[in-house]
Amino acid sequence: MAKMCMGLFTGSVDKLIGAGVVLSGAAADDMDVDVFVLLQGARAFIKGNEDKIDNLSEATHLKEEFFEALEKVNVPKWHEFFEQAKELTNVKIHVCSLAGKLWGGEKIEDFNELVDDICGIGEYITAAEEADVHLFI
Amino acid sequence: MTNEELNALPIAKTVDARGTACPGPLLAAKKAIGEINPGDIMEILSSDEGTKKDIPKWANKKGHEYLGTAEESGFFKIFMKK
Repeated sequence: MAKMCMGLFTGSVDKLIGAGVVLSGAAADDMDVDVFVLLQGARAFIKGNEDKIDNLSEATHLKEEFFEALEKVNVPKWHEFFEQAKELTNVKIHVCSLAGKLWGGEKIEDFNELVDDICGIGEYITAAEEADVHLFI
Repeated sequence: MTNEELNALPIAKTVDARGTACPGPLLAAKKAIGEINPGDIMEILSSDEGTKKDIPKWANKKGHEYLGTAEESGFFKIFMKK
C-alpha cells in the first residue's frame, strides 16, 4: 500500500481545507497516511479550537468572500475532511511535542479526537524517508 | 457505449453526489463500492466537472471497470463495474 507523509505546518483554515482535500484523495486511494502537525498547525488541533480557526494564509483581504463561497459550494469544514479520511483509510495524526506546547497542549488529552499521538521530529523525518509521497503544507 | 446503452445497464447501486464538490463524489463512490458485489454496476450522479476524470481514473486504478459517462440535464452519470 502506498504511503503518504504530510508535514502540516500551517494552521489557517484555507490550508487546512487544502490538506483535507488531499487527505480525501489519499483515502480514496487507500493510502497509509502520516500527518505531522508542526508549529502553527498545532493550534487547530487543540481541543475546542476546531471551529475557532478562521484565519487565511492567502488572499486575506478576500476572507468574507471566501467563507461565503465555501458555504455556497457546500464545502465541509476542515476537520470533517480529516474525520472522513480517518474513517476511510489508515490516517495517523501526530502532533510535534514542541508545536503542542506552544499552544498549551502537552498531553494527548489536550488535543481533539483527530490526534493519535504526540511525537518528536525524528519520527517525521523517518516517515518522510519511507513515504512514496511527501507534502509540506 | 452510447447514453442509451449506459442508461439501460442493470444498476445495483446509485450514488447521488449532486450538490457536492470535489472530493465529495469520489469519497461517496469509495464508500459505496464496498456495499456492492464483484460484477455489480454502480452509477454515480454528479455535477462536479472534476469528477468526470477523477472517478474513471480511480476506478481503473482500483481494478474496477469504467463503463462510460452519460450526460443529463445539469448533471451526468458515471457508470462503473466492480
